[in-house]
Amino acid sequence: MAPETRTQYQEDLEALEASALGGLDLVSAALGRTMEAVEHQDVELAQLVIADDDRIDGRYLEVHQALITLLATQSPVATDLRLISALLHVLKNVERMGDQCVNICKVIPLTGNEPPADEEMVRLILAMGKQTRTLISQSKRAFEDRNVEMARDLVRQDDVVDNLNRECFGLALEIGDDPDRREWAMTMLLAARAIERIGDNAVDIGEQVAFVVTGLFREFEDASHPSA
Amino acid sequence: MDIRHPIESPTVTEQNPEPQADPRTGLGDPRPMVSVAGEPEAKPAKRSREVGNVALQGLSAYYGSNHAVRGVSLAFDSAKVTAIIGPSGCGKSTMVRCINRMHEEIASARSEGKVLLDGLDLYDPRIDIVAVRRSVGMVFQKPNPFPTMSVIDNVTAGLRLTGASRGELEDRGREALVGAGLWEEVKDRLKGPGVGLSGGQQQRLCIARALAVDPEVLLMDEPCSALDPVATLRIEELIAELKQRVTILIVTHNMQQAARVADTTVFMLDGELVEVGPTDKLFTNPDDDRTEQYVTGKFG
Repeated sequence: MAPETRTQYQEDLEALEASALGGLDLVSAALGRTMEAVEHQDVELAQLVIADDDRIDGRYLEVHQALITLLATQSPVATDLRLISALLHVLKNVERMGDQCVNICKVIPLTGNEPPADEEMVRLILAMGKQTRTLISQSKRAFEDRNVEMARDLVRQDDVVDNLNRECFGLALEIGDDPDRREWAMTMLLAARAIERIGDNAVDIGEQVAFVVTGLFREFEDASHPSA
Repeated sequence: MDIRHPIESPTVTEQNPEPQADPRTGLGDPRPMVSVAGEPEAKPAKRSREVGNVALQGLSAYYGSNHAVRGVSLAFDSAKVTAIIGPSGCGKSTMVRCINRMHEEIASARSEGKVLLDGLDLYDPRIDIVAVRRSVGMVFQKPNPFPTMSVIDNVTAGLRLTGASRGELEDRGREALVGAGLWEEVKDRLKGPGVGLSGGQQQRLCIARALAVDPEVLLMDEPCSALDPVATLRIEELIAELKQRVTILIVTHNMQQAARVADTTVFMLDGELVEVGPTDKLFTNPDDDRTEQYVTGKFG
C-alpha cells in the first residue's frame, strides 16, 4: 500500500470531532451551574448560564460550518462520511441541551426569592441533574471510544432520569392546596422536564455512536412503539 | 449477437461481408437485432434485443511475468453501469481490456480464465475477434478520433467495415450522433474534420463511433480524465441515458464520478477483486477495510 495520504484532512476531522464533543463538556458545566442555581435560588448564576449559552451556540455554528466545508472540499465517504453526519447530529443535540439549561434558568426567577420549596422535590431534581451529567459524560466517552455497548447502556441510565421525573410529577400532584406552593411545583416540573429532555439528547448521541460504528441507524428505544 | 466463426459455414469477417451471414444476428433471440443492409425496419428490432451480459471466471492477465489481474470472477449487471476503482496499477484497465480482447494486442501480454458474453466464452478459439470488438465497444482516456476523417466518417468508420450501404451509413451515423448527444452540435459540420471539435465533443464523437455498430457492452477507460467539468457532466448524463441499451463498465480514478454514475462499484487492489457492491453501500459503509482505506483516501 502507498504511504498514508490526506493527513491534513484527517487531522482536521479529528480536531472537529474533539471540538464537537467538547461541546458536551460545556453543556455538562452549564447543567452543573443550573443545578446549583436551582438549589440555592441563585438568580445571578442563572443569568450567567443564560449568557454563557452563547458559547455553546458559537461552538455549534463554528464546528457546523467547518464540517460543511469539509463536505464541500474533501468529499468524505465511508466512515468519514458517517462520522461527519453523526457529528452534525451531535452538534444539534449539544445546542438543544444548552437551550434546555437556559429554559431551566429562565424559570428560576419566577419562583421568587424565598420560594415555598419542597425539599424532597428539590432533592429529586438535583438527583436528576447529577444523573444526567453522568449520561452526558458517558455519551461523550462512548463516542470517543466508538463503544456501542456503552452507548446502549445510556438507555438504562436514562431510565433512572425518567423515573425521577415521574416521582417529581407525583410529588407535584400531592403538593397541597397552597397556590404559591402549587405554582412553585409547576415551575419545578418544567425544570424536571427540561432535564429529562437533556437525558434523551444524550441517548440520541448514543444512537449516533452506533451509526458511526455499524452504518445502521436504529433508535435504541422507539418512543412511539414502546413494545417494539 | 453471434460472434462465433461458424465452423461448418464460411467464416464471416470484415474482408468477406455477406449479408445472409451477418454476424450481428441475435443469438438466442429469434428476431434479428439489426436487419441486413438496406432494410428499413432495423430500429425496433435493435431495441428489443438483450443487453450484454458479461461475466468473468477466474480471469488472470499477465504482462510477461507480471501478474496484473489475479483470478477475478465477477458478473456485471446487464443494462447497468459498473464502475471499477482502485489505485494505479491495480489491474482495473487491464481487466477491462481483457473483455474486448485488447489486452492480447500488447507484446508479451497474455490472459487465462474465461470472459463470458451472454454465456459465450470470448476466448474460445472459434470466436471472431473482430465481432467481439463490435459487440464490446471501447472509449479511451483521450479522445482519439481518426485525424484524417470527417465527423460523420469517424462515426461510421466501424460500420463501413460491415459493408453497410451508403443510406444505412447515414442513418446509423446520425442515430449514433443523436445517441451520443452530439447531433445538435455537429449536424451542420458533418463533413468537417473530427479533430476540429472540442475535447468533450471529440470524446462524445468516439462514443458515437462505438455506438454506431450497436454494441452490447461499452467499456470506458477513464473517459473523462482529459475533460473539463462541463464536458464531464455531459458524458456522465450520456452514460445514464445509454445504460438502458448497453451494459457499461467504466474505469475511473475519480471516485466521485464512480459514486455519481455507477449502479455497482468494484474495488480492485494489486490485481485482485477486493469488494463489489451497490455504489451507495460501497461509499457509505464498505465491508472491507481496504475499501474503506482507499475510498476515504488513506492510501492510493
